[in-house]
Amino acid sequence: MKTYHDIAGDGGSGILEQVAEQRARIADGLAGVRHLVAVGSGKGGVGKSTLTLHLAGALRARGLRIAILDADFNGPTQARMAGVQGALFVPGSRKVALPRTSNGIAVFSMGSLIPESGSLEFESEARRESHTWRATREFALLGEILGSFDWGTLDLLLFDLPPGAERTVQYADFLGARSSFVLVTIPSEVSRGVVARSVAALSKGPYRVLGYVENMSGYYCRDCDAIKPLFDPGGAASPCPPAHNALGRDLAGASAKAGRPPLLSELGVSCLGTVPFDPDLARLCDRGIPLGELADTPVGLAIDHVARQLLDSLESTPPTEPSR
Amino acid sequence: MKFLCVPCDSPMKLQSVGPPERGSLSVVYSCPECGYEMAMLTNAYETQIVQSLGVRIGPQGDREASSTSGAGCPFSSMIPAMESTSRAPADGEKQPFDPARGRPGESSEPMPVRWTAAAEARLANIPEFVRPMAKTGIEKFARERGAVEVDEQILDAAREFFGM
Repeated sequence: MKTYHDIAGDGGSGILEQVAEQRARIADGLAGVRHLVAVGSGKGGVGKSTLTLHLAGALRARGLRIAILDADFNGPTQARMAGVQGALFVPGSRKVALPRTSNGIAVFSMGSLIPESGSLEFESEARRESHTWRATREFALLGEILGSFDWGTLDLLLFDLPPGAERTVQYADFLGARSSFVLVTIPSEVSRGVVARSVAALSKGPYRVLGYVENMSGYYCRDCDAIKPLFDPGGAASPCPPAHNALGRDLAGASAKAGRPPLLSELGVSCLGTVPFDPDLARLCDRGIPLGELADTPVGLAIDHVARQLLDSLESTPPTEPSR
Repeated sequence: MKFLCVPCDSPMKLQSVGPPERGSLSVVYSCPECGYEMAMLTNAYETQIVQSLGVRIGPQGDREASSTSGAGCPFSSMIPAMESTSRAPADGEKQPFDPARGRPGESSEPMPVRWTAAAEARLANIPEFVRPMAKTGIEKFARERGAVEVDEQILDAAREFFGM
C-alpha cells in the first residue's frame, strides 16, 4: 500500500502549494529590506514599543530608510505613538502604501485600523476554543501584511514584538534566520529572569541576538539635570558597559547558585546601551510626537548610542546560516 | 492530508467541497480507478485550524473564484469590529490623519462615487480587512476634490497627499 510520501499532491486543494505561495509573497514583499530586526523581550511593560519607535527615529535621523511593523496585534501602540491613528491605506498597482510619520518612518499598526475602544476579533466556529487556533490565525495575518503592503527598499524593518518568551520564539521561527533580535529589559531581577528565558529559547534556533538594551535604567530629573535610580541597582542586567561580554557563560552557574537570574552578559548577550526613563518621553509617546525635541537630552543621547551600537552589531555579525 | 483508495492503491481526487454548516466542511473525494466516493466531514476545530492557516480547501478554480471575491480572507472577520467603533482624539493629541475619515456610518448620505475598473483593480490589492475603510476614505478624498469618480489619478493624488 502506498504511503503519504508516495503520493504527489493532496488530491486537489494544493494546501502545501498555497503555503508555498504565501511564503513567496512574503519573500517578494521583503526583497528590498536589508535587515529585519525584531525588538522583543519576553517581559511586558519594559518599553519595547517606545524604544522601537525612538530607535527608528534615531536611525532615520542618520539617513536610513526605516519601517516599523507593530506585531503586537492585540495591544498595538505604534499607531498612537507614531501619530498614524486612523491612517488611510491607499492601494498602488501591486501593493498597499504605508502611512508615514512626519519624519518619514513607514508604520503598520493595527492601531490604525482598530480604535482603542475595540479589540482584534476573528470570526470563528470555535470562538470559545481560541487557544487552539488563535496564534496560527495571527501569524497568517502577519504573513498577509508582509505580503500585501509596500515595504519598498529599506535599511531596517523593525518589528515591535508582543510580550511573552514563547511569542518571541514563534516570531523568530516565522521570520526565519534572516531576522535579528534586540531584547529589552529593565533593572529588575524579575525582568532579567524573563529575558534570560527568551535568550535561552532563541539560542535553540539559528537566530541572531544582537544584544540587549536596559531600559528605565534610572530616571532623568530635569530639576537636577541628573539620572537618579529607579530600581534597585542589584537588578541590573549586567555591568553595562564595560566589557559586557567578557565574563563568559560559565558564570551563569554562579548566579544560579546565588538564587539570582543570570546576568545577560553571562549568557553571551552584548549590551547595546542603557536608556533612562524620561517623563517627557512618555508625554511625547502619548501624543504621537517624534523624539526630535529630546535629541540632546540624556534619553535622546542614550537612544542614539543604542542605534549606533545596533548598526555596528548588524554590520559585524553575519546572519546565521539556516539550519533547516 | 491525502486519501488513498486501499483496494486500488490509488490516491483519491478531490471532487467537491460543501459550504460550511455549523462549522463543519463536507469534502468529497473519489477514486479515479474504481469511482468509489467518500466524504471527509470536519469538526469545528479542524475547520478553524485550516482557516487559521490562511489556506482554502477546494479545487483550484473554486479557490481562485473565492479569492477574487474575498471569501475566506483571514481579515474579513475583522470588518464588523472595525466598522462599529471609532474614537475621538484626546485634547492636544496630534492627529496627522483624520480618524473619522474612512469610518463607515459616520457621514450622512454621502454623494455616491463611481470607481473606474482600473482603480477597482488596485483596490483589490488591499487585504480585505482594510478594504472597506480604505475605500470609504478614498471616496471622501475624491468628493473633497469635487470628483465623482475614483480613478488612478485620484489614487495617486491620495498617495502623494498622505506622503506615501
